Amino acid sequence: MNGTTAARYGAYAVGTVLMGIGAYGIVAHVPDLFGWAVWFAGGAVLHDAVFAPAVLLVGAVVTRRPVLQGALAVGGVLTLVALPMVLRLGARPDNPSILPLHYGWNLLIVLAVVAAVAAVVWWRRR
Amino acid sequence: MVRGPAEVIAGRFTSRLHDERVAAWLGIALGVSFGTAFVTGLISHFMQHPPGWLHWPSRPVNLYRVTQGLHVIGGLATIPLLLAKLWTVYPRLFQWPPFRSAGQAIERGAVFVLVGGAVFQLATGLFNIAYWYPFPFFFTVAHYWTAYLVVGALVVHVANQASKVRHTVMTRPEDAVPRRAFLLTVAAASGAVALATVGETLSPLARLALLAPRRPGTGPQRLPVNKTAYAAGITAVPPEWRLRVTGAVGRELSLSLADLRALPVRTVRLPIACVEGWSASGDWEGVRLRDVLRLAGVADGARVRVESLERYGAYRTSWVEPRHWHDGLTLLALGLNGEPLALDHGAPCRLIAPDRPGVMQTKWVGGLVVA
Repeated sequence: MNGTTAARYGAYAVGTVLMGIGAYGIVAHVPDLFGWAVWFAGGAVLHDAVFAPAVLLVGAVVTRRPVLQGALAVGGVLTLVALPMVLRLGARPDNPSILPLHYGWNLLIVLAVVAAVAAVVWWRRR
Repeated sequence: MVRGPAEVIAGRFTSRLHDERVAAWLGIALGVSFGTAFVTGLISHFMQHPPGWLHWPSRPVNLYRVTQGLHVIGGLATIPLLLAKLWTVYPRLFQWPPFRSAGQAIERGAVFVLVGGAVFQLATGLFNIAYWYPFPFFFTVAHYWTAYLVVGALVVHVANQASKVRHTVMTRPEDAVPRRAFLLTVAAASGAVALATVGETLSPLARLALLAPRRPGTGPQRLPVNKTAYAAGITAVPPEWRLRVTGAVGRELSLSLADLRALPVRTVRLPIACVEGWSASGDWEGVRLRDVLRLAGVADGARVRVESLERYGAYRTSWVEPRHWHDGLTLLALGLNGEPLALDHGAPCRLIAPDRPGVMQTKWVGGLVVA
């Protein structure tokens, strides 16, 4: 067994131990194990079955326009990150210091900046 | 040769960016960002649940502010990286046959844990900072333990891919695939997410934080609040309020507000650095915790439990270790930003100490119990 192979098996051992700690902790400390598992597997399934095909579909529609594709990707991911704020799902009437901004308008401003930057990039690449 | 339906799908991915070189660079970036999130996450966890051997320092004052800011803003900036990586390797989901050996089956299993766990961590983290809890488990518990699963799967994945990645990034591509433009776009997305949120902890950039769930300077007495008095079930300062110092003390104390104000009053500038990643500084006025403890004749090595008037809640008490209570910046605060402490900030008296998570800056203090 050479050094690289030894390092690889060492890493397998470390990784397995860490996953074991995680699995133990979840079983021992998360009462609703099924609920956790639904969220754990659900994220991957939702990505692979819904999110990724939707992105690929958009990519197929705007094919061969790389600046537009890039702008849609950046704007899309910013929208995704901002969505919980825009929808204000966590707002509490007793605490106005939580989610204090007008996130819908702010997202539009951010998207306008993305569009402006993309326009400049497109202009320079012509 | 018979082609399976999955193989037909895999053949339809025409973009040449679905390649190993892009996956390798994104993988390196993700390794760094998940590694950073794991380390900063462990720091935050063990600060709140310290094992006996761990003595977290009280200085530098802003250490926790930085590690937790890195955890949350870095985590948000990781979202574009992960999505780009999954897009790049998506065709491999349809490889046919799904595996050719037991080893490959285990490898794909580890990748599932990695992908499921990574999406889980980023999604629950994002929902948590937005104060939205649609899931049937405690965020902190699930996020903490799932981190070990993700990092374990990441170590296995790195072991499997390391030699391939090393070879790939060390050789010059001989084709004209626009990888640089693609990776720069991903970096731009990460940078944009960070720039639109980092101002919730880096106050000079506060006005740029258009998408952050918090804004420093917004809240009662120009400071955000995590748990209001209403949420804690506290409607007013009890008129008969006293600070009781009990436990392993030379003499028990029961101090009124006037008694406290008779001690030397100090003003310190310290941040509230929340586990949710935001932070904001305030000018706190109050008496040093160590002055009160000395008055009670407390031993130098004692640990102190600060108790709130709150009846319930996981954070109604917090421990103060010797390093923190010896620090002259650690106050029992009675005022904030030039005014008497607002009820939402813990009136009449709250703990404020350097380099400590916000949930451990106990509000509505009613007692100190010395161990």
